[in-house]
Amino acid sequence: MDETAATNTATDTATDLVARVENLTKSYGTERTKVDALRDVSLGIRRGEFTAIMGPSGSGKSTLMHIMAGLDSPTSGRAWLGDAEIGSMDDAELTLLRRRRVGFVFQSFNLVPTLDLEGNLLLPFELDGRRPTSREWDWIDELEHALGLADRLKHRPHELSGGQQQRVAIARALATRPELVFADEPTGNLDSRTGREVLELLRSASTKYGQSIAMVTHDPIAASYADRVVFLADGRVVEDKPRSDAATISSFMLSMEGAA
Amino acid sequence: MSAATLRPAINGASVLVAGLSAAFGVGLLQVIGVLSATIQPHSRGPQSHTVGIFLTITGWVFIIIAIYVGAIVTSNTFATIVAGRARTIALLRLLGSSARTQRRAVAREGLLAGVLGSIGGALVGTGAAAGIATIGVTVGFIPQYSYSYVSPGLILPLVAVVVTSWLASWIGSRRVLSVTPLQALGGSEELSREEVAHRPGRNRTALVLGILGLAALLLSIAVGLVTPLAVLIGVVGGVLSFTGLVLGADLIMPPTLRGVGRLFGRSAPARLASENALRHPQRSSRATIGLVIGVTLITMFGVAAASFMQMIHAAQTANPEEYRGVEQFLTGITAVFSVLIGFSGLIAAVGLVNNLSLSVLQRIRELGLLRALGFSVTQLRRMILTESAQLTFTAVLLGLVLGAFYGWVGAQSMLGSINGSPGIVFPAVPWLSVGIVVVAGAALTAIASWAPSRRATRVSPVAALAVE
Repeated sequence: MDETAATNTATDTATDLVARVENLTKSYGTERTKVDALRDVSLGIRRGEFTAIMGPSGSGKSTLMHIMAGLDSPTSGRAWLGDAEIGSMDDAELTLLRRRRVGFVFQSFNLVPTLDLEGNLLLPFELDGRRPTSREWDWIDELEHALGLADRLKHRPHELSGGQQQRVAIARALATRPELVFADEPTGNLDSRTGREVLELLRSASTKYGQSIAMVTHDPIAASYADRVVFLADGRVVEDKPRSDAATISSFMLSMEGAA
Repeated sequence: MSAATLRPAINGASVLVAGLSAAFGVGLLQVIGVLSATIQPHSRGPQSHTVGIFLTITGWVFIIIAIYVGAIVTSNTFATIVAGRARTIALLRLLGSSARTQRRAVAREGLLAGVLGSIGGALVGTGAAAGIATIGVTVGFIPQYSYSYVSPGLILPLVAVVVTSWLASWIGSRRVLSVTPLQALGGSEELSREEVAHRPGRNRTALVLGILGLAALLLSIAVGLVTPLAVLIGVVGGVLSFTGLVLGADLIMPPTLRGVGRLFGRSAPARLASENALRHPQRSSRATIGLVIGVTLITMFGVAAASFMQMIHAAQTANPEEYRGVEQFLTGITAVFSVLIGFSGLIAAVGLVNNLSLSVLQRIRELGLLRALGFSVTQLRRMILTESAQLTFTAVLLGLVLGAFYGWVGAQSMLGSINGSPGIVFPAVPWLSVGIVVVAGAALTAIASWAPSRRATRVSPVAALAVE
């Protein structure tokens, strides 16, 4: 493929796409034991939207997220964040990308146990070797209040409930106002009520602040909070739906199972 | 950088190791200083001079060895720390910390440990030397003396300890570079045996160092027939060949451990304990190599001293005039050195206990699984004890063999040229040292497995399986 032509199309579409992948393939194992996690996936994540990437286990959704976030490299195909191609970045550039341009929320919260809540929130700035600017402090204050964390800033993660820990993780991911937040089964370790609260928070981060979010999940209820639901099966994108309720998503999932 | 995560945490084990090395170095210099002060006033005749030279050479040989051992144990400790912290490091990498920043943070911990340890060690070493000297004067073994315990020469071992702790933590933290951000999302695995075997660069270096070291050792034996300074070549050979062994430990230890493991029977706990050694070659090598060093040192010194005594006896028979009184003096020195060398055993023991508890901690989930599958508390405890026994037994065996060899080379290269010596010094086996090592090894097995097995058996299977 012509290098400059590809870059041009990337900038053309970059206005409304915060991230995109083109003809992405990822295989594991040797020639004889080869497993394809992704087969020729092309997908764009729209700016300001809350996108759910849905699929049963083994559908390749986590692999897709890892590649989009620059954590893993594809066997073939290309991935962009904004207009920067991730595949051509070296480790130092990827480090900066993770530090400044993307945020992460995980199933297992992943807070640093030795730091209190505020320390965890400020971690991305500290790793950048700077203090937050006054505008960023205002934003952090706002996040702390909106997420109900303001009175727990000196608590350590183990003193917080799972739901609270996940809210800290969300606040940490939003603190640097990254271009895109990746959420990997963010409700997987939470009870259903706390899980719904967390999903509400993610949705309002998108509607209120225009935060772009890509969430990987296999839970139809979680996916029903998103503006858009992309379905993956056997490493391929099989469906791309606008916001749908959990029942519709469930029945589509079941029909996929039936077809397979 | 005010970052709380990047602030160096003080690691008790590494401070202790640095402290012991510093205490050893300073203590030895002080003891030599005191002894020289007691010899000089009535120094007459060539034998005092010869003894003085031997004393200084031996002293420095041991200081170099102590610092070298400290460095290896420290880099081992830091490798273990990094392995235990892989997940946190991965998380910080994921959030945008560079691998270099993370590694520098670990190295800062090493520097801090070195500084704290060497200050504490200097005090302890001086105190110990003063204590030994006071006892020596009281029992009349050495005469009254005047000696200042503060001398600029002491800076040397202290600086060496700080620098080596720093370097060792840098080397030990090499693994930080291989931690990927993706590991924060899944379990972190250590290298498998196949991957270890496929690190040609490191393995080749190990082989080259081993061969060079062996060549230097042989050279020191030959040169030793002419001058006692040959022992310095021997030290270089010893350091090179042992570094080769440490680098290649990931390859050498697992098969040795497997062989030893067979001796413990075929019961499920024994088999699992034995397999554990092979599943994580790096972890088991780290745990054993420190002890191998300790046992090697003790044995080496024992063999060298016994050979020394044997040779002095021979020289005495040939030249009774010149060597009168030397034997009694040497017995005293041997006793003092034996106490000091015991420190290296202590360093090794700290390392092993530390390693085993960390390795059990890292496996809490797996131990929970065994409990869920129906392992009784007794079986679990037996498994951990067997694992510990396998590690100590292997280390003691290897250490005895290596120590006997190094000790003989040391004695031969230093004493081969001495007046009236037989030319070839026959290795003498110090049965007392060997006995102490074996008993201490058995005790260490029990101690090292006690805390981890207590911890492992107290965790309920459900709680253990829930651990992330």
